[in-house]
Amino acid sequence: MSRSPLNDYRTRIAAALEGGSRFGGLHASGGTVRTALVAPSGAIQFESAPVVDGRVTSIVDLAPAANWDEREAFDSYGVRFDGHEPLRPLVDHDLDLVSWTVPVRGPDAYQVAVGPIHAGVIESGHFRFHVVGDLILHLDARLFYKHRGLERAAEGHTLAEGLAYAGRACAACAVTNTVAYAQACEQVLALHPTAEVARARTILLELERLWNHLNDIAAVCAGVGLAAGNMRFAALTERARQLNAQLTGHRFLFGSVEVGGNRVAFDATAARAELAEIRAESESAWRELLFNASFSDRLPDIGVVSLEDAVTFGAVGPAARASGLAEDARATSNLLAYDGFTAIVPHRAAGDVQARLEQHALEVQQTFDLLASLLDAPVVAASCEPAGNGRAIGAARVESPRGATLCIVESTNGRVDRVRLRTGSYANWPVVAHAAAGCLLPDFPLINKSFELCYACADR
Amino acid sequence: MLTLLKDLRRLRRQLDLPAPDHARSLAVRHVDAGSCNGCEHELTLASGPHYDLARFGFAVVASPRHADVLLVTGTVTTRMHAPLLAAYNAMPEPRRVVAFGDCALGCGVLGLASELAGPVEDVLPVDLRVPGCPPTPAAIAAALVELVG
Ligand code: SF4
Repeated sequence: MSRSPLNDYRTRIAAALEGGSRFGGLHASGGTVRTALVAPSGAIQFESAPVVDGRVTSIVDLAPAANWDEREAFDSYGVRFDGHEPLRPLVDHDLDLVSWTVPVRGPDAYQVAVGPIHAGVIESGHFRFHVVGDLILHLDARLFYKHRGLERAAEGHTLAEGLAYAGRACAACAVTNTVAYAQACEQVLALHPTAEVARARTILLELERLWNHLNDIAAVCAGVGLAAGNMRFAALTERARQLNAQLTGHRFLFGSVEVGGNRVAFDATAARAELAEIRAESESAWRELLFNASFSDRLPDIGVVSLEDAVTFGAVGPAARASGLAEDARATSNLLAYDGFTAIVPHRAAGDVQARLEQHALEVQQTFDLLASLLDAPVVAASCEPAGNGRAIGAARVESPRGATLCIVESTNGRVDRVRLRTGSYANWPVVAHAAAGCLLPDFPLINKSFELCYACADR
Repeated sequence: MLTLLKDLRRLRRQLDLPAPDHARSLAVRHVDAGSCNGCEHELTLASGPHYDLARFGFAVVASPRHADVLLVTGTVTTRMHAPLLAAYNAMPEPRRVVAFGDCALGCGVLGLASELAGPVEDVLPVDLRVPGCPPTPAAIAAALVELVG
């Protein structure tokens, strides 16, 4: 091959992956395609390639996790990827079934279409199962029904105004998405979060994680049909949201993060007492679940994601850790107050529904511990401090309840030129589709609940 | 299991839920037309033990064919426009539409105009408006009880 910039792009990415970096995200921006690579230290490195005649070389063979990113870059920015064949539509919907589904043929193979409207109070999205009888051979998930064009709509706004767009992407990850956005903007603006700002943000992130963990355990109970377990964890989720409202004025902590500092202030005493009670209640509820045989019999060996597949598909968050992948963006976050944090992996890292459920129970303890030690003093308003030089591109990676979320902000003159929010849910949706293959159709709701991904923050 | 049920009973006693004063019921079909997922999370908890909307006769039903009320969350995206109409057209008469949350009401909507079909009332006749971002479970309870009253 001749040495062109495109080949260098691939060579550099291959070398970084070889050196232990992981694919972090890919996006198109003004005639360039940028790939983010995340080193084991958490450092984010960009490799860029110019778009020539509307084309760039694909890296999907080097990093299969780039599959969705490249498809999105074509649908939304018209960039073709040489070597990514077929480049199936992802965000685009006005197309033939054949164009976006994987052909599955054979005796008795047929398709079951589910959604976009689901049978409960669930977000909108479409699943097309290729099955023989009850056996799922392959699943094509078509999301983006809720695509609101938030990234494009943020363009041209000031960096401070852009925060609302990151927040609106998803209620379940609103703190994560806005903290990641704020950190990216602060790199652009040459600001550094002080210890007080970092501590306040870390508390908000863990409060968000707390209700999500409780909600996610409730969701698995619902997936099995265990109403008592579902209701009990729903009641605990309610208490966690009431606590959020008491501390910040909003049950989902909306509006509690800002660019350049922190303005949320509260006294931590009451929160500590309430958290201790929620903790005791959740521990007793969890013990009850463990002794429920008809519940626990439903969990093992379904929706299995092997460690190898978790790495290949770029799984993140509790789902990846339940497969034995010891990665957690909190462990490498030097802009937040997670000193000494290490990722936990379960003893039985089987990557099935049981392992993902147990991972929530493990990690909620971590969150209670973190909150207990962080809430040792009142939370006060504080500003970031000036540090170094500004940059044209800021990038921050923050661990959401679903996994690492990457926010990239490209800016000139204090305005948003391009913002890209690659959330934990976005990273994990292809993993859900993979986990479903080989399982029975009636198990899918449970498998899906064990990931409990947001549609909103994938669709944006 | 028994302990779980006992705990739930205890929780019920502590909560002191108001009793319904009528004997009517409504079947509700929810459609997410483009929300941020906040409205869904609050709706889910409205059926939880603290509020327990079922006791006022509200049931979330799986099919629009069984529904009296279409409860729409989010601003309507271009991609959810057709599915939303399909759900509405599948409902028997009489039917009511609830625009649920600020996005559904067209307040403070963020997004690209070309991706959005508009607030719910641009697409369907709206009978009840529930403001809030998202409406709290307490507000949901109050609004829906009014609908059944
Ligand atoms: S009203 Fe608020 S919570 Fe509901 S969908 Fe809109 S932004 Fe989300």
